[in-house]
Amino acid sequence: MSDNHSEHAHIGLPGYTAVFLILVVGTWLTYVVSFWDLDSVFPGANTLLALAIAFTKMTFVMLYFMHVRWSPRLIWLSAIASFFWLAIMFAFTMQDYLTRDVGNFAG
Amino acid sequence: MQNADAINPGSMQPPKTNYLTNGFTVKSWLLTKDHKRIAIMYLISVSAFFLMGGVYAAAIRLELLTPASDLFQTETYNKAFTQHGILMIFFFLIPSIPAILGNFLLPLMIGAKDLALPRVNLLSLYIYWVGGALTLWALMQGGVDTGWTFYTPYSTTFSNSYVMAVGLGIFINGFSSILTGLNFIVTIHTMRAPGMTWFRLPLFVWAHYATSLVMILGTPVVAITILLLAVERFAQVGIFDPAIGGDPILFQHLFWFYSHPAVYIMILPGMGVISELISNFARKKIFGYEFIAFSSIAIAVFGFLVWGHHMFVSGQSIYAGLVFSFLTMVVAVPSAIKVFNWTATLYKGSISYDTPMLYAIGFLGLFLIGGLTGLFLGSVGLTVHLTDTYFVVAHFHYVMVGGQVIAYLGGIHYWWPKMTGRMYSEFWGKISAMLVFVGFNLTFFPQFILGYQGMPRRYASYPEEFQVLNVFSTAGASVLGVGLLMPVVYLTQSLISGPRAADNPWMHPGLEWRTSSPPPTENFDQMPVVTWEAYEFGEESGLDLDEARRRDAVTVA
Amino acid sequence: MTTHADTHDHHHEPGLQHQFEDMKQQEESVSIGMWMFLVQEIMFFGGLFTAYLVFRSRYPMAFAEASNHLNAFWGGLNTLVLIVSSLTMALAVYYAQKGKRMMQVYMILFTMFFGSVFLGVKVIEYKDKYDNGLIPVAGWNKRATAAEIAVNNTLVLPWEIRADAAAAGGKDEKPYINPTGEFQWRWGHELVKYAEEKGFLTADEKVHYYSNGQFDPFKFQERVRMFYFIYFVMTGLHALHMIVGLGLMAWLLWKAWLGTFSAAYFAPVEMSGLYWHFVDIVWIFLFPLLYLLGRHFLH
Repeated sequence: MSDNHSEHAHIGLPGYTAVFLILVVGTWLTYVVSFWDLDSVFPGANTLLALAIAFTKMTFVMLYFMHVRWSPRLIWLSAIASFFWLAIMFAFTMQDYLTRDVGNFAG
Repeated sequence: MQNADAINPGSMQPPKTNYLTNGFTVKSWLLTKDHKRIAIMYLISVSAFFLMGGVYAAAIRLELLTPASDLFQTETYNKAFTQHGILMIFFFLIPSIPAILGNFLLPLMIGAKDLALPRVNLLSLYIYWVGGALTLWALMQGGVDTGWTFYTPYSTTFSNSYVMAVGLGIFINGFSSILTGLNFIVTIHTMRAPGMTWFRLPLFVWAHYATSLVMILGTPVVAITILLLAVERFAQVGIFDPAIGGDPILFQHLFWFYSHPAVYIMILPGMGVISELISNFARKKIFGYEFIAFSSIAIAVFGFLVWGHHMFVSGQSIYAGLVFSFLTMVVAVPSAIKVFNWTATLYKGSISYDTPMLYAIGFLGLFLIGGLTGLFLGSVGLTVHLTDTYFVVAHFHYVMVGGQVIAYLGGIHYWWPKMTGRMYSEFWGKISAMLVFVGFNLTFFPQFILGYQGMPRRYASYPEEFQVLNVFSTAGASVLGVGLLMPVVYLTQSLISGPRAADNPWMHPGLEWRTSSPPPTENFDQMPVVTWEAYEFGEESGLDLDEARRRDAVTVA
Repeated sequence: MTTHADTHDHHHEPGLQHQFEDMKQQEESVSIGMWMFLVQEIMFFGGLFTAYLVFRSRYPMAFAEASNHLNAFWGGLNTLVLIVSSLTMALAVYYAQKGKRMMQVYMILFTMFFGSVFLGVKVIEYKDKYDNGLIPVAGWNKRATAAEIAVNNTLVLPWEIRADAAAAGGKDEKPYINPTGEFQWRWGHELVKYAEEKGFLTADEKVHYYSNGQFDPFKFQERVRMFYFIYFVMTGLHALHMIVGLGLMAWLLWKAWLGTFSAAYFAPVEMSGLYWHFVDIVWIFLFPLLYLLGRHFLH
């Protein structure tokens, strides 16, 4: 029974601390960049950057704290699938809201 | 391959403890972790809800016998159709096949002792009871009149009925379905017996896998939606209220994100049952196993992309309507694949017309009509004419009753000997199956015409010219009602005085038939090892149905 | 059901349940089950994120204005607190795998401590909203007493924006005149003006802030109210998940104290850990979305 217990998959104390530091830096970064006016780059750049940082942080939490990195493919698949379904929900809802004026000949 | 005696040893062995005789106290039922006992408790509770929903249906059809609203006040009528919908959809159609047949059969079919998470399974039953009790309490307090769809802002702001209590009942009940789906997915992944590879699974299991995906991915969305609705109604402020800049159409998006896939929660397990029935009674390996298996998964995935076809006239953008309309046509393809494969399985099969098979054949015809009229409604132009008419009512009853309920009844009859160890009366079974088929068509086919002629749904009164067809419909409903009540009588009677069923009365090679009827608590005396493909009928496997029947006839005589 | 009472009949494998053949199968099942649960949790919060997306894209200026009023210091602090608690949770699993009993207990205690700090900070924030009339439900805010109103009431109508407020040290707010505990927005609408000057206020947005071509503070206030509704529902549900998590931790603490977990059996710690990290991830998204977006207008 214990053949797979002798070597639990994790990154050890230094690894956990490193991930923790990355998360702290990410939090600091997302706070700082939120004050930069990136609209001059393109509208919505702030949102994109904030989400990119959040995704990076999430990835680290999932891979290392939640041990996804050493998990079977099914776990990867379920994590990816849930984001895929979220994307379906966002995209198909927004395709309605963003196209309310398209093809509307009445006005 | 095992020989006939190994498949059907029950007739020679003395009776031993089975799951029904393993403890007789109330506690041994209420605290059980046995998936079979939980399934039986689900069977009883779900049937009770089916009966209540049926009473509302009878009331609705009685009211519609005459053009004027004479039996009820119109407000009462609104409550009657709402409660009919809520009880039937959330408390009967969604849990029926998965929680009863799925719960009972899934571990048996894959050769497991139980579901992977038996305590979670029991929890899901309790959640179902709590949600159901809350809903029933609300119905007794005065009920709800919003329609089962709870459209805002009527439900949040204007309705003077028990929206919040019923909503919370449904919210709670949703977690029962989530936990069932979760349990099935885990079980199918980790509990398969040695040799039971993915492509040896019965198609019933594949269908339940697809159903579980929808349950897990969809149900939480309707849960949060109904929660938001309840919060909004309670606090009188919220995101669905157009008065403060909220959006009622967002409610419809979120609601249908679940409630369209929920249609597949209802029909996919039915399709799984039909795959079993058709191949068994045609004595033939199912045609296109992989296609049927993957079409279930395809339905589960594509089913999430079409919800907007419920909102064509809601104010959704024209572009979105076109996209949803196109995808609706796409999602019809996997359903059609299944129908083709079932038909091809029948081709040159050695068909016998037992009660379950009558239901299965009825399913093929009715689901075909239900599915094709769905395409009418999915075309964005025609829908403008047909939305909110009886055409829609007829369409979804053809899919839900003609499809799901008939598959459910077929499944109950088919596995009844395994579940109870008794055979029901084949004569009454056939009569009832035919009454259901005739009564159903007589009830709902006229509604297609009524809807096409423009009779709107959800009204207690209607113009005189629609009366003839409505009388047909009500007459059909009474035939349907008799057909649906008959199994209650003869199935109950079979428990008391029915002949004992053999372990494998249908001569099916599946694992669930390789244990005794009813099965022992741990399902199999020893861990089965699967060495055969699914649906390997044939006399060389010792599965000659005619031969078995001759033997049974001798035994009975 | 005597056959089910004996979940410990395999005494050499503590915690093995009867339906499984071995620990590996049980661990796999429990882990897949937990992940499926998390998938449904993601979809559960997903409905809220969809609502957020729809309204943020519809009323960007009102949402930015409302968001900028949230206290990013408390929000950021809470993010850090949760990250620390995630670290201690991960370490609790780590020490459970190593079978170190007291270290597990300490780590679970730390996790509970930081979880409680998070909730404490949330209470401070909610209290601030209560004091300032920012709870979107009518009548749920602090009711200003007659005396307070008398002091404040200089016949300034609530929706009139004080012109000289910026000069008075940037504290751009109107007095709290709120005898009935209504939702009220007292911090102006600089962003709408700014957006209009810069020319990116859409026609659609104008419809939602303007009446008869004039800026309508009432209408604007209702859009801000939408933000605060979404804010309270999202953070409230998140806080509810934290409370459930704390309950789980209390149970784990008891089990760990009894020395239940070892290298052979630590699934409960790991599964609770997955839940805790999930709740952390939700906050990782809530913090920028609710507190930070729109802050770049503040310069």
